Amino acid sequence: MAGQVCIAIRDVYKRYKSAQEDSLSDVSLDIMQSDVFGLLGPNGAGKTTLISILCGIIPVSSGDVQFFHNNKPYSDHERKSRIGFVPQEYAFYQELTPRQNLDYFGAMYNLSKIKLEERREHLLEVLGLEKAADKKVGTFSGGMKRRVNLAIGIIHEPEILFLDEPTVGVDVQSRNAIIRYLQQINEAGTTIIYTSHHMSEAEEFCKNIALIDHGRVIAAGGLQHLKAVHEVDNLQTLFINLTGEEYRD
Amino acid sequence: MFKLYSSLRKELLLLINDKVGLALMFLMPLLLVFIITIIQDSAYKMVNENQIPLLVVNHDTGDEGGKLVDLLTKSGLFKIDSQNAIQQESLKSELLSRGKMIALYIPGTFSAGLESNAEDVSTILMDDLGLEHDTTAREKTSMPKLSFYNDPVLQENYSYSVMSVIQSYMSVIENSLMIDRMYANMDIAERSAKLKDKMISNRVGIDQIVARNNNSTAIPNSTQHNVPAWTIFAMFFMVVSLGSNIVKERVNGSFLRLKTMPTTFMVVMFSKMAIYVIVAALQVALTFSMGVWILPKLGLPKLSVPDNLIATIAVIFISSMAAVSYALMIGAFAKTEQQANGFGAISIIIFGAIGGILVPTFVMPGFMQFFSNFSPLHWCLEGFYVLFLKGGSWQDLRTVFAFLGIFIVFCQLGTYFKLRLERII
Repeated sequence: MAGQVCIAIRDVYKRYKSAQEDSLSDVSLDIMQSDVFGLLGPNGAGKTTLISILCGIIPVSSGDVQFFHNNKPYSDHERKSRIGFVPQEYAFYQELTPRQNLDYFGAMYNLSKIKLEERREHLLEVLGLEKAADKKVGTFSGGMKRRVNLAIGIIHEPEILFLDEPTVGVDVQSRNAIIRYLQQINEAGTTIIYTSHHMSEAEEFCKNIALIDHGRVIAAGGLQHLKAVHEVDNLQTLFINLTGEEYRD
Repeated sequence: MFKLYSSLRKELLLLINDKVGLALMFLMPLLLVFIITIIQDSAYKMVNENQIPLLVVNHDTGDEGGKLVDLLTKSGLFKIDSQNAIQQESLKSELLSRGKMIALYIPGTFSAGLESNAEDVSTILMDDLGLEHDTTAREKTSMPKLSFYNDPVLQENYSYSVMSVIQSYMSVIENSLMIDRMYANMDIAERSAKLKDKMISNRVGIDQIVARNNNSTAIPNSTQHNVPAWTIFAMFFMVVSLGSNIVKERVNGSFLRLKTMPTTFMVVMFSKMAIYVIVAALQVALTFSMGVWILPKLGLPKLSVPDNLIATIAVIFISSMAAVSYALMIGAFAKTEQQANGFGAISIIIFGAIGGILVPTFVMPGFMQFFSNFSPLHWCLEGFYVLFLKGGSWQDLRTVFAFLGIFIVFCQLGTYFKLRLERII
C-alpha cells in the first residue's frame, strides 16, 4: 500500500483566539501510507498544533485535511477508529495499573473484551511491562511510563499512529525498545507521524520529514533527498542550517 | 455497554485508590455525626436532665437567702455547692480555682431588703384601699442585688438561661413576702397561706407541641438534626475527590486523548456522575444506619426515618446530584488540584455555614438568612428537615426541588461550557 496518500493537508492555517500570529501558516503536505513521517522543528514551531489538528483535537482556521485509505476518503468519525495518538504528556491514570489503563482505553476504542485482553497481554509483553502490569503506573520510571503511553495509543492496532515526542526524557534502553517496536509496526503497515527533538533518532527512524518553523513548512521530502539538496551529511546540520542557531523558548 | 462498564470500572478504581478522598467522604461524616451529636446531646442534657453545678455563697443574715437556696436545690436543676465562708471579694478567684462555671452571691442584706420592699408595697396598697394598718416607722433597707458570676468561656445564652431560672425563683420569694406583709398589716397573717398557694403555686403551665405535618410523636433531638446535616456536608465534600479527579484528567491530557477516540464524552461524565451519586447514597446509608443502630447503643437518641420513603429517596438523589454537579464544575474551572481541593473545601465550609449546617439559619441575622438561599446545602438540609422534622409531603418539597434543580442545571452548564472552551467536549 506504500505510495498511496493517507493524509492530504492543504493550505492549513491555524490562529488561536487572542493570538497575534498564525501558529500554522499555509501548510500543505502529503503523508503516504506506511510512511514514517517526521514533523521536526524547534520549540513553538507548530508541530504539536499540526498533530492536534490531524488528530481532531483542534479545528483548522482555514484549509483542509483529508484522510484516505486505499485512495478512498473517510469521515472524521471513521478517522477516530483508525488513528492512534500518543501525546507528549503521560495521558493516562497514574493511580491505575498498566492493565487497568489498557482495559479502559481499549474499551474506549470499541475493542471487544476478548480482543482487548489479547492485545493488552501482547503489548505488555512486547513493551517489557509484563512484570509491572499490576503495579500502579505512578510508581514507574519515566521510560516505563512512556511505554504505557505508547501501548495505550496502539492498543487498537491503528492504521495511522501520531506520536508527539514519544521518547522524551527516557533512558537509552526504553528509547531503543520504543523505536524498535515502532519500526516493527511500521513494517506491518502502520503509518507513523512523529515529532521529536532528537535529530539522530529521527534520522534513524524517519523515511520522510517536514521541517516546520514559525508555523511554515520550510523543507519537506525524503530524508536522503533533503540532505543531498542541502549538501549536509546529517539531519542535525540540516536542521540548524534551516532554522538558525538562536534560542527558541 | 462494554464501554460504559469499562468507564464505570475505571471511575470506581480511581475512587478506591483515592484514600484521602474516601476518608473524607466516609470517615468524616461518621466522626462528625458521632462527635457533634454527643456534644449537642450532652449540652441538651446538661440543661434539661443533668444538674448545673452552682457555687452559692449565702451571706444573708435573714431567712430569705436560705429559702432561695432551698428553692434552687429543690428545683433539681442545680447541683448546689454552698461555700458560705468565701468572701465576695475572693469569689471570682474561688470560682476559677474550683473549676466551677457559675456562682451566686447572696448579700447580707438580702432578707432585710426584700422585707423592706414588701413593707413598702403593702403600705402603698393599704393606703390606696383606705385600710387601717400598722403605721409604726421601720428601718428602710434598699432593694438587694444578687451577684451572678460566670466563667468567661461560658456562652452568654447559657448564663442568661441560668439567671432567668434564678429570677423566676426570686419572684416566688418576693410575692410570698408581699402577701405575708399585707396579711400581717391587716392582722390576718395566719390566713395568707391560701392566697399564696393560689398565686404562687397555681401558675399557668406551658405545653410544648412540635409543629409537624403528620401525627408523628417523634420529638426533634440532636440526632434528627445532626445526621442529615453532616451527611449533606460530607456529600458536598466529594468535591475534594471528584474535583481533583477531573483536574488531573484535564491537565494530564487524558480528556484530550479521549477526544481522539471513537467515544462520546457523555460516557465519561455519566460514569463519573453515576459512581459519585452511588457514593453519596452510600454515605447516606452509612450515616443513617449509624443514627438508627449505633447512636442509641451509645445512649444517644435514635434517628427516626421519615414515613415517606420515596420522597426521602428523591431528596437523597437530588442532593447527591447537586453535590456531584458542584464537584464537576469546580473540577472544570480549577487549574490545579490544589485549587480544586482548597477552593472546593473552603467553599463547602462557607456554604455549610450560611446554609445552616453549623448554626440554624433562623438564628442568623436577616441578611445572612437571605444569603442562605444561595447555598445548595441549605436547600438539601431544608429537604431533609421537611421530611425528618416536619413530617412534610411532596407539596412541601416543591421549593427544595426547584432550587436544587436550578443549581444542578447551572453547575452542569458551567461545566459544559468550560470544557467546551478547552475543546475537551
